[in-house]
Amino acid sequence: MLIIGEKISASNRSVGEAVANRDRRFIEDLARTQAVGADFIDLNAGSGHGAEEHKDMEWLVEVVQEATDKPLTIDSDSPGVIEVALGKYRGDRVMINSVSAEPERLESIGRLAAERQALLVALAMGAEGIPNDVEVRLAACEQIMAHLTRLGLGEGQVLFDPLVLPISVDAGQGMVTLKTIEAIKSRYPEAMTVMGLSNISFGLPRRKLINRAFLLMAAYAGLDAVILDPLDAKMMTFVKVAEMLTGKDPSRRGYIRAHRKGMLVD
Amino acid sequence: MTEDIIDLIKENVIQGRVTQDDEGLEEGMAGEPGVTELVGEAIEQGIGLSDIIKTGLTEGMETVGQKFEAEEYYIPDMLASAEAVGAAMEILEPHLAENGIEAKGKIIMATVKGDLHDIGKNIVSILLRGAGYAVKDLGNDVDTQTIVDAVIEERPQYLGLSALLTSTMMQMKDVIQALTDSGIRDQVKVIVGGAPVSEEFARSIGADGYGADGFDAVRAVESLASDKAKG
Repeated sequence: MLIIGEKISASNRSVGEAVANRDRRFIEDLARTQAVGADFIDLNAGSGHGAEEHKDMEWLVEVVQEATDKPLTIDSDSPGVIEVALGKYRGDRVMINSVSAEPERLESIGRLAAERQALLVALAMGAEGIPNDVEVRLAACEQIMAHLTRLGLGEGQVLFDPLVLPISVDAGQGMVTLKTIEAIKSRYPEAMTVMGLSNISFGLPRRKLINRAFLLMAAYAGLDAVILDPLDAKMMTFVKVAEMLTGKDPSRRGYIRAHRKGMLVD
Repeated sequence: MTEDIIDLIKENVIQGRVTQDDEGLEEGMAGEPGVTELVGEAIEQGIGLSDIIKTGLTEGMETVGQKFEAEEYYIPDMLASAEAVGAAMEILEPHLAENGIEAKGKIIMATVKGDLHDIGKNIVSILLRGAGYAVKDLGNDVDTQTIVDAVIEERPQYLGLSALLTSTMMQMKDVIQALTDSGIRDQVKVIVGGAPVSEEFARSIGADGYGADGFDAVRAVESLASDKAKG
């Protein structure tokens, strides 16, 4: 399972303040601690307070690539911000988060991804909002893949996010997400699937319990990558367990290695 | 007897039981009449509609709000209660006009341009309807001009704006500016909300009120209403 560390997001108040105050040590620390468990470090500079996102993102890329060699995930809605970040980033491997089937941004961000041969996260939705059913989400993925392959991206460069809505609001949403993962994997075996877990448990008690259980179910449905807090030891334990139980740790030694390192928590 | 049935309505709003088949918050209640059956019976008995609404539904929902705030209730509990109140209001509505009972006020709700999130906005709409307001929901990704046109046409007392993204919250400022430019800013009170929105942000963009969650949004509207009453 590919782990994308989610903690450097300016929408989080303390991170937003650190970015605004150019608190280099705070961000370096978040980068280094996440790098232990994460395969990618997500950078999101959107704090909602005006037009500083370009500069903030540029600064984040600069600071984080000094602190760790782990590849970055450039997380923004704005093609301009993504372009600036890619210009600043020296690494070979990079991920962009995200596009949807909305054609204008799909075209401009898709082009940036093709030029850089970046991985690209694509949300299973169009311009009309999050579809409630599997068929419409898959149709959005088909539209996206057709457009991206025209721009020169390979299927294997695309990570589809099936989208997760709170189970507290609609009892069917857990299964919609899981069935969407299955549908995407069967339609595009080369493509990856990715999601954040915490939306599923919004509005309910003991949220982490729900998130962890949902990770196991999603792994069974075919989830390849997950956006989470790699410092959450219990969640990372469930990642190791899920990898082993779905046959993705063929020698079972990833699990044992994690145990020897004292990383597993029950 | 009158008091009994109104107490039962209130109790079943708190339990979130729409019909007799619902299990409710606690176990073992299935089979007992739910809110819709009780409201039907109350109308038949000729009990005053405003008593049913005020003492049964509204007070029940206020208790639900307190329990939600105390984290004793969660979103599924709250939605079940709101659904019960909504179903009761549907039964009561045809009887309201003939009895000269009016809605407390009119509210237009919208998630702003570029933002497709509607769960929070829908919850606020449900709770406002349950509190006795007439709600017109414009949906999500609504552009500023459409909102301004709706305010001009519908002349609501309140406008509720929602944004869940840091990249769209500034749209709420645009809407308020557009209301000012159209010369109708003082005709409508603007209440804002959404995950990245704070009270401080609400004040900075010139909104009249802020709702931290669904019940807080209702409280914000009620407090603007009582300010208005004081003149």
